Amino acid sequence: MNQAEILRFARALMQSYDLVAPRRKKGRITLGTLSDAADLELEFPPSVHSPKKFLFPHWDELFRFKLDGNVLLEAESAAPPRIIFGMHPCDLHAVKILDDCLFEGETDSTYRAKREATLLIGVDCVPDDHCFCTSLGTDRIASGFDLFFHRRDDKYLVQTGSAQGRQLLADHAPETMAGPHEAPLALQVKQCDSHLQFPTESLPLLMKDAYEDPIWKKLGNDCLGCGSCTLLCPSCYCFNVQDKLELDLKEGQRVRTWDSCQFDQFAKVNNGDNFRSSQSDRQRHRFYRKYKYLWDQHQRTACVGCGRCSRECLAKIKPTEVLNELFSQTPQQQLATSPGSEYQPQMAKVERIESISAEDRLFRLKVPKSFSFQPGSFLQISVFGLGEAPFSIASSSDDSNEIELVVRRAGALTQALHRVRTGDSIGIRGPFGNGYPVDKMLGKDLLLIAGGRGLIALRSLMLSLLTQRDNYGRITLLCGARSIESLLFHGDLLEWHHSGLIDCRFAVNEQNNSWGIPAVDVSYLFRDLDINASRTIAAVSGPAEMYRQINPLLFRLGLADEDIYLNLERHMKCGLGKCGKCRINNICVCECGPIFPYSSVKHLAEAIER
Amino acid sequence: MKTRIGFFDFTGCEGCQLTVMNLEDDLLQVLQLVEVVEFRELMSEEVKELDIAFIEGSITRQQDRVRLQKIRKRTKSLVALGACADNGGVNLLASNQDVAALRQQVYGSDAEHLLTETPLPLHQVVKVDYRIPGCPIDGREFLAVLQALLLEREPDLPNFAVCVECKLAEYPCSFDFGEICLGPITRAGCQAICIEGGDRCRGCRGLVDNPRTSPYHKVLEEHGLTVQDILEQYRTFNIGEE
Repeated sequence: MNQAEILRFARALMQSYDLVAPRRKKGRITLGTLSDAADLELEFPPSVHSPKKFLFPHWDELFRFKLDGNVLLEAESAAPPRIIFGMHPCDLHAVKILDDCLFEGETDSTYRAKREATLLIGVDCVPDDHCFCTSLGTDRIASGFDLFFHRRDDKYLVQTGSAQGRQLLADHAPETMAGPHEAPLALQVKQCDSHLQFPTESLPLLMKDAYEDPIWKKLGNDCLGCGSCTLLCPSCYCFNVQDKLELDLKEGQRVRTWDSCQFDQFAKVNNGDNFRSSQSDRQRHRFYRKYKYLWDQHQRTACVGCGRCSRECLAKIKPTEVLNELFSQTPQQQLATSPGSEYQPQMAKVERIESISAEDRLFRLKVPKSFSFQPGSFLQISVFGLGEAPFSIASSSDDSNEIELVVRRAGALTQALHRVRTGDSIGIRGPFGNGYPVDKMLGKDLLLIAGGRGLIALRSLMLSLLTQRDNYGRITLLCGARSIESLLFHGDLLEWHHSGLIDCRFAVNEQNNSWGIPAVDVSYLFRDLDINASRTIAAVSGPAEMYRQINPLLFRLGLADEDIYLNLERHMKCGLGKCGKCRINNICVCECGPIFPYSSVKHLAEAIER
Repeated sequence: MKTRIGFFDFTGCEGCQLTVMNLEDDLLQVLQLVEVVEFRELMSEEVKELDIAFIEGSITRQQDRVRLQKIRKRTKSLVALGACADNGGVNLLASNQDVAALRQQVYGSDAEHLLTETPLPLHQVVKVDYRIPGCPIDGREFLAVLQALLLEREPDLPNFAVCVECKLAEYPCSFDFGEICLGPITRAGCQAICIEGGDRCRGCRGLVDNPRTSPYHKVLEEHGLTVQDILEQYRTFNIGEE
């Protein structure tokens, strides 16, 4: 649409709708009903109040009543048909947050009436010094609007986002609707001067340990308690309910008015107690609501980075500064190892490569930053151009600067890894997941059962245990494989066996094998097993088929469900609990596992049964 | 029987009573529910007993004290009407001056018999039940307080700052123009009328219950004010509370 067409469109809309758009008032941009379509502006910085003031107004009648007790319900259709022409992406995101909160559970019908009677037309914005939408990903939006006007040169490309939006265009700008369809515009990159110095996914973890941080005291000392931050926030919706009477004292209305958690009386109860008695408590509550509590519920912040709170704050409290300060105090390592930190790998140098079977190579990597992990955790390994795949860590959890991985040559990615030479760098991400509970094993007898490549995760456990061998009781390893050739870590196994540090017993399916051991199944090794079940923890790692065979034998020995740890590796594609590929029924292996006590997975049909 | 209300005035400009009169149609509607038994601007009678006494002005003379005490005895409820009655208002500017010199300066040769004292708000003389702050009062707030009392409910006095009403109305912040505004610590309820009119807040409604003076002074200092300047800012309406 060109300017003339937009003007015609706006004029047509004004015939049937209350057309709300930005207006200049005392030098400020405020949203209000447009009286002349020629005043329509499509490029402007954030308005003082967000469109919340129309969808969830400060003064909202819930119903009318008579003092003699008859409630007179106003019809819900009381909301006027309205179009808000000029919704910035951040404000559209804020409406989604209001929707989440006000439609969840008991639907708020007063809000719904306005929401349904209001069409939203989006436009791109002109960020100012306080905007930080680019840090929160709210500078763009793919849905939640009826129409969106993207600027292209001196015209606008109109994107439809709903059936109502298409109808609006067909009814009021038929020539545009009939015009040629065009591919969506490439995303426009915006520049915000204010920004977070870390990915938003780190926020919940950042906030988790920040409750007692001295920063809240400092904010409390700076804050004037005026509540401007929450009143102007496009997604704050806390409210008060009051009765307002007509002058005749016969009738009245029950109204909802905006309230603020920053006010003294907000958390005050009748006996005079105040559950958030200091301004520090109140500021902390605001930040936790925005960046933690609603994240826990809806997996996104309740802040859209519009900057209204800091723009109007006389005490100059800026969320980006507060969060960046918290971030600067948090050990980087802790955030870097968090699930959800980033998809971007870090580069690790290959220190040593060893062929440990015809198909397997052991890689020793120097990691850029040391990290802690439990045996059984995994890393994502990247080769650019070929992708990324998860690998169990094979080395001791005490060695945090160098780690070892076993790569079997199979597909394109692993073949590429086999071409890597010492001194090359490869991408790593992680570590991810929960491993075997080394702390719980202290003082216990341990029964380790490995099947095939399951030995990789158990090697990490055994190497970790051996660094403090005296802290554990008997350690018995039952190790099964198809053949001697396919048995990994010959050197380690023979060393442990000969040293007597670990009681190693082997079973291979191969007849007349070079080690001269009987060709039996790993379950055969249970026959002359002598263990004290009450003081034994079992760590099992192998294919699901092996668990179906072994688990009944472990129960027969008398081991408790919670003392049997199983490795349930799946294809953990993202490692962040998001992609869904490693999901077993309702749990994500990468987040909750891959090592699980049997007690927590026995109810999951997909865990072991198939 | 209708609730009997009366209006009384002491040292003040009668602007608050005028605000009540200016309610016009609304006032006529309210008058259906009450009986105005004393109102010097309308009538000259005096009654033995009344339910609500709205009292404007500060107490500046010995005979005012006596008269106020007598009203207190006659009324069930006593409401301080406006800043002069509520916290002394602008009258308190006289409180750090020498009384005799001030009297001489104001009354000249009549100073001999016009025996004024240092002005006091009502609560320093009698028990005040309810308050309607402001210079002048806000008519809607007067109606809301009267309504609450007629329904035997505790009237709500906003306990948040003028900033709230200023932001709701989307007015520009006075500090953005280099003006010193008392809005951040002053009790709301005026709908930020002075800001709307292009002025700044001078604090006529008194301070909120828990004014954040320390961060506020920090803001003022950032705008280049000294401690003395800050006290000056408070002085117009809040001399007792600085």
